[in-house]
Amino acid sequence: MAETMMAYPELRHPYEETPIHPPGSTTVLHQGRAVTLAETGDGDGLLIRPDDLPRVNGFELKPEGACRAGLCIPMNDDLLISGDDGGWFDLAAFADLTGQPYVADRFAGVWSFGEVPATREHMMADAMAPDFAVTDRQGNRVATADLKGKKALIVTWSSW
Amino acid sequence: MPVWQRVYEEINDPNFVLICAAQDTGGEAVAGPIFDAASPTYVQVVDEDHVISSAFNFVNVPSAAWIDETGRIVRIDEGTYAAIHEIGAGDQKIVFGNDVYAQALKDWVAKGARSRFAQSTATVSGNIRKHSFDQRKADAAFRLANLFRAHGWQGKAEQYWEMARSLNPDSINFIRQNLTLTEEGSAGETFRKVVMDYANQGKDYYRPLDLEEA
Repeated sequence: MAETMMAYPELRHPYEETPIHPPGSTTVLHQGRAVTLAETGDGDGLLIRPDDLPRVNGFELKPEGACRAGLCIPMNDDLLISGDDGGWFDLAAFADLTGQPYVADRFAGVWSFGEVPATREHMMADAMAPDFAVTDRQGNRVATADLKGKKALIVTWSSW
Repeated sequence: MPVWQRVYEEINDPNFVLICAAQDTGGEAVAGPIFDAASPTYVQVVDEDHVISSAFNFVNVPSAAWIDETGRIVRIDEGTYAAIHEIGAGDQKIVFGNDVYAQALKDWVAKGARSRFAQSTATVSGNIRKHSFDQRKADAAFRLANLFRAHGWQGKAEQYWEMARSLNPDSINFIRQNLTLTEEGSAGETFRKVVMDYANQGKDYYRPLDLEEA
């Protein structure tokens, strides 16, 4: 057990510095996923193509708003920027609207988003398991929805 | 991890899922051999970004949630041990864990809602940590740091790890994970000071284990 508390200084930073994405691209982190977008718009926010929204954070645009798993968040005029080229969706403005925290490193072109609070209301109020999705060591996606109909114990541990 | 494999085999119920998620930023290189040594048949996840801890608002390991067939959490956020462990020897010996949690788990898997260890919605809701905006922002900062680490961007990794720690100083996970990747390790002087400060402030990093409560 003592061995599990040992330090791993060699893992603190991999030896070689490598590019995060191709030049001009942007990487978005959300729920443990990293999505690289080849195209983003100019502006203070994070302007993405509306078609990219589902793969970035699972939401998709519908007449009633931005929707995911039965939750629809009405949009305001700041979110959608129309244009002949298909327009843009401002992901940062969406985060501000919903109270979703984010941290951006504009130099590196990486934006990391926390959870949309509304997606967790059922956990806080009704003790319903939150939405999560991870990949197991065999490469299978494991998500909350997969547990339906079974009892589950989810345990965190670490080598430390 | 072998103890959880034993518990899983003893339960031996096709409608029971055990997911063990290693909150190791060092990734497969660190957590993989430990998993493999247990020859596990349960679901194994190397959760470098602490996605599970973030989802359930855990601040330390080992922590857990019991989820029933309807998706409702019936226990959460307790020190999740399947056995009593001893490390060190003599004056340095540390004893931790318990041998009652796994028995309670087995009872719940067998009896479901009739188990006295399945807690009410009100109790579970009360035990879920309420994280502030800054604490939730810390999760985003931590993942950003990990991405930079994975690409060898040392300065930025340090910058955002520090941001995460500042935004959520209650996260033992952030502190210990970061220490693990240093010469000092995760159980050195810095960690001992953190634990002392925690205790002095009256905080808990697990909810008290109360297996008498229905």
